[in-house]
Amino acid sequence: MDFDWTPDDVEYRAQLRGFLREALGADWKGYGGLPPAEYKAAAGAFCRKMAERGYLTQNWPREYGGGDAPAWRAAILSEEIGSPHGEPRGSQYMNVNWIGPAIMQFGSSEQKAYFLPRISAGDITFSQGFSEPDAGSDLASLRTRAVRDGDDYVVNGEKIWTSHTAIAEWLFLLTRTDPAEKRSKGITVLLVPMDTPGLKINKVAGFVGESAFSNPVFTDMRVPVANRLGPENGGWAVVRYALAFERIGVAHYRHAENQLNQLAREAHARDLMDDPAVLAKLGEAWEAVEAARLLYYRVVDLRDHGSGPTADSNIARVAGTRAYQIVAEAADLVLAEHSLGGAGRSRFNLTAGITSGATEIQLDQIATRFLNLPRPAVGARD
Amino acid sequence: MDLSLSTEQRQIADAVRTLLARHATADQTKALLAPSGYDHALDGKLAEAGFTGIAAGDETGPIDAALVAYEVARAAGTSSYAAAELVAPRLVGANPKVPVALARLPADFPIRFAQHAGLILIDAGDEARLLEAAPGDVEPVDVDQVGWPMGRLSPAARARARPLGPGTGETLRRWWRLALAFETLGTMQGALDLTVKYVKERVQFGRPIGEFQTLQHRLAELTVIVEGARWIALEAAFRDAAPLNAAVAAGRAAGAAALVARECHQMHGAIGLTRDYPLHLWSTRLGPLAVEMGGARAHRAEAAALRFSSQEIAAREAYWR
Repeated sequence: MDFDWTPDDVEYRAQLRGFLREALGADWKGYGGLPPAEYKAAAGAFCRKMAERGYLTQNWPREYGGGDAPAWRAAILSEEIGSPHGEPRGSQYMNVNWIGPAIMQFGSSEQKAYFLPRISAGDITFSQGFSEPDAGSDLASLRTRAVRDGDDYVVNGEKIWTSHTAIAEWLFLLTRTDPAEKRSKGITVLLVPMDTPGLKINKVAGFVGESAFSNPVFTDMRVPVANRLGPENGGWAVVRYALAFERIGVAHYRHAENQLNQLAREAHARDLMDDPAVLAKLGEAWEAVEAARLLYYRVVDLRDHGSGPTADSNIARVAGTRAYQIVAEAADLVLAEHSLGGAGRSRFNLTAGITSGATEIQLDQIATRFLNLPRPAVGARD
Repeated sequence: MDLSLSTEQRQIADAVRTLLARHATADQTKALLAPSGYDHALDGKLAEAGFTGIAAGDETGPIDAALVAYEVARAAGTSSYAAAELVAPRLVGANPKVPVALARLPADFPIRFAQHAGLILIDAGDEARLLEAAPGDVEPVDVDQVGWPMGRLSPAARARARPLGPGTGETLRRWWRLALAFETLGTMQGALDLTVKYVKERVQFGRPIGEFQTLQHRLAELTVIVEGARWIALEAAFRDAAPLNAAVAAGRAAGAAALVARECHQMHGAIGLTRDYPLHLWSTRLGPLAVEMGGARAHRAEAAALRFSSQEIAAREAYWR
């Protein structure tokens, strides 16, 4: 058991920091406020710089243009790129973390030849069409219908909470192809160009900074069968595979740590560092951040040792959520009314348990797959 | 970075589990505790099997001893192994006179193992003090309330303790926090093991109660808390009980202990409150562990002062601000 970074990893981290400073500038404050086209251009330019230096798809296999980097390099990259001002890759982090790997695993040779080089070059943006108004946590009940008609599928239905639709060229879309199979068995993944006729995007106003929420509606939208990822009715395996990667795609604990450092600076500035309640809360919050970090490392370590996805990733995800939430509690304690009216209040208090899947679904997985409890009488069954 | 136990570490954990399954059963612990006894026989078996001295062995270190301390606590063994192997050798050298009890000033509250202790180490601030206890020094307290043999030191005995020198207080505190983290972790895991087993077997409303999502989610939350505590404690052992890591490990464990005890009882219902059913062996022990050394408030104040000093904030701040 060894909790120290290897000299190679230390060197890699230093180089990566140097690259980030050079590529973004030492005082990068995010893309906030940029209109979609400029945001897309800026994130794309940054991704192309990452690609030139071999960082973008460092963890992909060499046969797909990657660097075959060890799993730990992905963790270091997630830690270093995790900025309080947002994700400098924009939505392209999804491409390298799970869309690319899903295409490698399930894609046709034509799909691999088309998508993988574009992802590697930082030249393509996806949206994720998963949730529907009546299929949120219960994703397997989704109803967006795709009916085979010759060489096309004809798609009708709608998605919701879809991010990045204003900048994406492609939609990673889950559809139902077998209505007789009510749940996970009748689902199919389609890769859909965003300019396909019959696809209309409605905006959904959010109040916690998620301005990119939207509601894509499909009316007799025709998608070629060649755009299907994986077998017809075999989409659930693709989703599970992709989500296993997504769960540790972001080093949430690093965001929480950044916030906590800022709070501690505030606590010093306000002479609160000898207040026992403040110290106890900062100590507790730091425990939560450390727990989230080490549980994330545990998942990386399992992957580094060649293990497939386990419920350890669900444990790490919940620990990351709890870290955000307790840092938000610490923020109220340290900042009190000073947090009002500015950017000081942590929005993560309201969003952490919801984004990329409700915490309750992670808890279901921990109960049934880590503790081996029986499938619940009522609740998730897939 | 490699978070897998070595082959040797796995063998040590397996071997001590086998030993404990024979020599530290729940029935043995119950019989021992009735007269507030101490398991000298278990200490003897652990020594005989080579589990002593491993915290500073040629091929073994604090992680190995911590794994043993964890398993002893998980089995509800009544042994001061954690204090004797992880703490005492840092202050008084190898092979301390067991049992070892740990106390802090004013040391006028009940202390685990005090009435059986060969030696008592006392945190007196900058320095640690050493007391070789004599008959009459310790007044036992009612074991039913605390789950451990515990006793109070007489004022005369406290006055007899001799100082171990400047700076020894910090050494005592950081290794004590590490030992305490693993004892608490093992005790929480023991309670949780029993509870997970129970909810799979107990049938109500026509199904095992473990099928109910309301219990599943609570057990899953406890799992997240305990697994986090485990990895924090393991890193603290790897870092030789560095002050910050040790304080975080003790704080996390202490902060979880009362919740784990309460939830495990709640999920057992009334059976858990009986003497015949063994849950109390672990659950009552969690109370004293949660407050030892001043409890979560003290551990967290220490961790926050170390981690959030102005220098440490600046040193650890990422490139992003």
